[in-house]
Amino acid sequence: MTSGRELPVYLDYAATTPVDERVAARMADCLTRDGRFGNPSSVHAHGTAAHEWVEAARAEVAAAVGAEARDVVWTSGATEANNLAIFGVANHYADAGRHIVTARTEHKAVLDPCQELARRGWRVTYLKPTRGGVIEPEQVAAALEPDTVLVSLMHVNNEIGVVQDIAAIARICTAHGGARLHVDAAQSVGKCALQFAASGVDLMSLSAHKAYGPKGVGALLVARNRGVQLRPLMFGGGQERNLRSGTVATHQAVGMGAAFALAAQVWAAESARLEPLRDRLWAGLAAQGGVLRNGAASVSVAQVLNVSFEGVEGESLLAQIESRIAVSTGSACSSAVREPSYVLRALGRDERLAESSLRFSLGRFSTEADIDVAVATVAQALKRLRRIAGAGPCVTAN
Amino acid sequence: MRYSELTWRHFSAASAAGELTGAGVRRGAAGSVAQGTWVQFEVRLAAARIDTVRFRAFGCPHVIAVADWVAQAAVGRAAAAVLPEAVQALRERFDVPVEKLGRLLIVEDAWIATISSPDP
Repeated sequence: MTSGRELPVYLDYAATTPVDERVAARMADCLTRDGRFGNPSSVHAHGTAAHEWVEAARAEVAAAVGAEARDVVWTSGATEANNLAIFGVANHYADAGRHIVTARTEHKAVLDPCQELARRGWRVTYLKPTRGGVIEPEQVAAALEPDTVLVSLMHVNNEIGVVQDIAAIARICTAHGGARLHVDAAQSVGKCALQFAASGVDLMSLSAHKAYGPKGVGALLVARNRGVQLRPLMFGGGQERNLRSGTVATHQAVGMGAAFALAAQVWAAESARLEPLRDRLWAGLAAQGGVLRNGAASVSVAQVLNVSFEGVEGESLLAQIESRIAVSTGSACSSAVREPSYVLRALGRDERLAESSLRFSLGRFSTEADIDVAVATVAQALKRLRRIAGAGPCVTAN
Repeated sequence: MRYSELTWRHFSAASAAGELTGAGVRRGAAGSVAQGTWVQFEVRLAAARIDTVRFRAFGCPHVIAVADWVAQAAVGRAAAAVLPEAVQALRERFDVPVEKLGRLLIVEDAWIATISSPDP
């Protein structure tokens, strides 16, 4: 960093991760004149050299998630992959049905496309999770209708880290016959095991930058052997088997391949290292009192801890800590007045607790010292803000 | 969110936060935690003038900063059910976003409730 100002401890790996230096080196080899800079669709030597690396990266991505290389469709990220999956299925199967099932706790990159389809006449069922954030497979079964063409549910929730049982949900969709299962797995790689083909999922969205790869690249896995059909969103060149036109960005694809290959090697050891750090963080925060954990701990990844704090106002809490630790809050700053997290509200947290929540997300470079800074910083902020609020701010005097 | 230097200074120090003890303390509050903003003032008068003020607040940095400023600016003034400065002027002084105007009105309501409370 060049700012000269000490940056806060980074505990926001679920928002994005730094590119691993080994990944950056591979990407750099694709950019300049002495590297594989050619257009991978070109037939000359420069093009074929780039094409070789794009295909190698495709194989790396596939191997990391238990898919076949031919399943991988490069996109600009998980948001585009989600859009391609949802609109692609909806448009292709519109004559078969116009009902979609998703959950209230999905990322906006799934909810917004579903809302757009609702505006266009599709019916959308939004499943409500348990208080722990779990979507029970039985809920999916109950929500399916004869004309359901798509179920879209995430694997690892980006706010609370809860992991859904996608294999069980896939079995239900398969038994239904007409409902394709799309899984937003943007947060999964590097945090837990993914077996795309074995799980029976039809479509899966992936992101590179959540797994120490570059921003601006992702992939949609399309299970070719399950006969899934999509209508493309973009036209103009027919790349990616006509599903995603546009020149494939060699350096981005190579970066994603390298990051996923690395993730496949290290995720288990990394998670085992981070779990006690996450537990240390939780223990330190819980000791302050009035601290509630969001999401069922028994089915959460080691990298994410989401907590709500009683007796403090969310914006003041953030203002008090942000110079020392970089975390995400349980509210969206779409204007000067913050909106509490719809994910936490769906779990049953009231507006105040949803708004006074923090998501700590740990990663490859997190240390015990980082955790101790986080605990000390939050403890100090809680103590101060609770002192300012006093013991009984529950009175309404007007 | 970015805060003005004045807001940050009063939020960080909040030197008037606390409670008054002893006899002759007027107390009033407004808002609620459920609403997201709650403010309480405690005032001690001396010869019909404000001698000491303390506040409690559950709210955003702007609310805490303005309550702290009010608690300090009121000292020495006559006990009147109006803020030392009008809400709109406070909004400008602290560079408070217009969406938060309602929160400043809660500060005002708390002040009015305090000064209007019966003699203890």
